[in-house]
Amino acid sequence: MTLLLQGLGLGILTGGLYALLASGLSLYFGVMRVVMVAHPAFLFLAAYLTYTLHTALGIDPLLTIPLTVPVFFVLGVLVQRLLLARLAADQVQMMSVLLTFGLALTIEGLLGTIYTGSYKSVTVGYDTKSLTIGAVSLPYDKIIAFGVAGLTLAVLFGVLVKSRFGQALRATIQHREAARLVGIRTDRVTGYGFGVGLATAAVGGGVLALITPFFPASHWAWIGKLMAIIVVGGLGSVVGAALAAVLLGVVEGMVLVTVDATWATLMFYVFLFLTLLLRPQGFFGGRLAHRF
Amino acid sequence: MRTVSKLLLLAGTAGALAYPWLVPNYYLVYAGVLTVMYAAMATSWNILGGFTGYVSLGHSAFFGLGAYGTGLLITRAGMPWVLALLVSAVLVTVAAAVIGVAAVRVRGASFVIVSIALVSVMNLLVQGWRSLTGGATGLQVPAPFELSRGQTHMVFFYLFLALLGLVLLTWWFISRSRFGGGLKAIREDEDKAEMLGVPTAAFKVVAFAVSALFVALAGGLYAVWFRSLDPIFVFSIVSGVYMVLMSLLGGVRHLFGPLLGALIIAPAGEYFLIALGESQIHLTATGVLLVLVVLFMPEGIVPRLVGRPKGASIREDTAEQRLQEVKG
Repeated sequence: MTLLLQGLGLGILTGGLYALLASGLSLYFGVMRVVMVAHPAFLFLAAYLTYTLHTALGIDPLLTIPLTVPVFFVLGVLVQRLLLARLAADQVQMMSVLLTFGLALTIEGLLGTIYTGSYKSVTVGYDTKSLTIGAVSLPYDKIIAFGVAGLTLAVLFGVLVKSRFGQALRATIQHREAARLVGIRTDRVTGYGFGVGLATAAVGGGVLALITPFFPASHWAWIGKLMAIIVVGGLGSVVGAALAAVLLGVVEGMVLVTVDATWATLMFYVFLFLTLLLRPQGFFGGRLAHRF
Repeated sequence: MRTVSKLLLLAGTAGALAYPWLVPNYYLVYAGVLTVMYAAMATSWNILGGFTGYVSLGHSAFFGLGAYGTGLLITRAGMPWVLALLVSAVLVTVAAAVIGVAAVRVRGASFVIVSIALVSVMNLLVQGWRSLTGGATGLQVPAPFELSRGQTHMVFFYLFLALLGLVLLTWWFISRSRFGGGLKAIREDEDKAEMLGVPTAAFKVVAFAVSALFVALAGGLYAVWFRSLDPIFVFSIVSGVYMVLMSLLGGVRHLFGPLLGALIIAPAGEYFLIALGESQIHLTATGVLLVLVVLFMPEGIVPRLVGRPKGASIREDTAEQRLQEVKG
C-alpha cells in the first residue's frame, strides 16, 4: 500500500512535466495539424543549454529558464515560418513528421558531437533532500519541477483564454478560414503558436536538467511517451493532453514501484494501442482530432 | 528508349554481379553487402510506402524481429540457418499482418506515431526479456560456413543481391497488378478508393505484411552474416529512417528509386563513419539531408532524370495537359 502511494505521488509529480511538454505538442497540432517529433530533441537541447549556463556561469537551473524561453520562442517561430510553412498543403501531415524527424536527428547529432554521449547532470543544494509525508517520501527537486510545470501551464492557459493573442490562437485552431475572415493574420499566429509550443520545451528542459541525468539519445524515449499522451488525450486538445499526461504519469509511477522500469515504459504503448483500437480520436479530442 | 533502358538494366546487373571481383579489398566488399542490404530493405519499404503512401518509420522493427528470430531459431532450436531464416520470416510476416490490422486503422500522422512506437516496444521487449534474448549484451549467432571473413562477405553479397532481385521483381509485379492499382488508389484518395469497391483494409494489411516479409528476410540474413546482434542497433529508429530517406531521395513512385537512394546514402554513411570516426555528427548529416529532401525534392531523383513517370504510377498531369501535348 505504501509502495502504491509512493508510486502515486511520484507519478503525479512526473505527470506535471509530461503535461507541460504535451501541451506544446497539442499546440503544434492545433495550429498546423503537425506532429512535431523534434519536440523532445528541443527539450534536451534546452537541458544541455541549462547545463552549460549552470556549469560555466553558475546560474541556478531554474533561473536559466527566463533566458532560454525567449530563444526557444524565436526558434519555434523560425522553424514554422522557414521550414514547415514551405511544405505542400496536401502532404503536410506525413512530410512534417519526416521534416521534424530530420530536425531531431540534427539536434541529437550536434549534442552528441559537442557534449559527447555520456550522461550529464546538474546538481544543486536542494535536489537531494526529500519531503516525507507519512511513509511516502517525495524528492524536493521533483516537487519543484511539478510546481514550475504547473505554474507554466497555468500561465499558458491564462494566456490562451484571456489575452487577445490567445483568442486569435484558439480561433486559428478552431477554424482557420473563419479566423482569417474576422481579420486574424493566421499565418503569423501559426508561427507564434509554434513559438509558444517550443517555449514549453525550454521550460521543460530547465526542469528536466534539475531532476534527472540526461544524454543526447534519451529524447527517443520521450518521443514515444509524449506521442502516447497526446494520442490518448486526443490530438490537438490541450486539456486532454494534460489529463492524459497525469493519468499516464500515475500509471507509470505505480508500475515502476510494483513491477519494473521496462513495464512502466511499456504501459505508455499499451495505452497508445488500446486508444487507437477503441477510440482512435482519443478520449478528449472531439471534432478536431477526428480521423487523424 | 526501351532498348536503352534494357541495356542499362543489363549493364547494372552485370556490374552488380561483377562488383566483388572488381574491388581491391574485402572492406569494399563489406561496404557493398551493406549497400545491397539497405537497397533491398528500402525497396521493400517502398512496397508499403510507395504504393499506399503510408510512411512507416518503424520498419526496423521487422528487421530486428527477423534477425532475432533467425538467431534464436539457430541457437535455441538448433535449426540449420536456411530453415531458421525462412521460418523466422514467415513468423514475422504473420506477426506483421496481425499488427497491420491494428496499425492501418489509423492514417497520416497517427500511423507514423504507431510505427515509431512499434520499434520502441520491440526494443524494450528484447532488452527486457533477458533469459531468451540475452538482453542488452546481445545475441551471438554461430558461423554458417567454414570460410574466412572475406569469403563470407563474398557469399553474402550474392545472397543479399538475390534478395534485392526478388524484392524488385515483387514490386514490379505488384505495380502492374490489380492489387497494385488498388494500393495506388489508396494513396491518391483512400475514401474514394473504398467507395469504388477497393477492399482498402485488406489491401493495406497485405501490403504491410509483404513489405515486412522482405525486411525480415534481410534481417535474418544480416543475423547470419554479422553474427552479433545488439538490440540497440538492430531495433534502431535510425535504420528505419534510412529506408524512408533512401526511398524518398530516389523517388517512391519508381521501381529503382529506393535502390538509387541506397546507392547514394549507404556509401555516404560508410564514408562518414571512416572520415569522422565514431562521432555523432553523421546523425546531423542524415538529419539535414532528410530536411533538404523533404523540403526540396519530395518526389526524388528519378523523376528529374527520366521526366514524367512512364506507366509505373498514376499520371500527375491532367487529361487536358496531355491533350495539349498531343496538339503541340
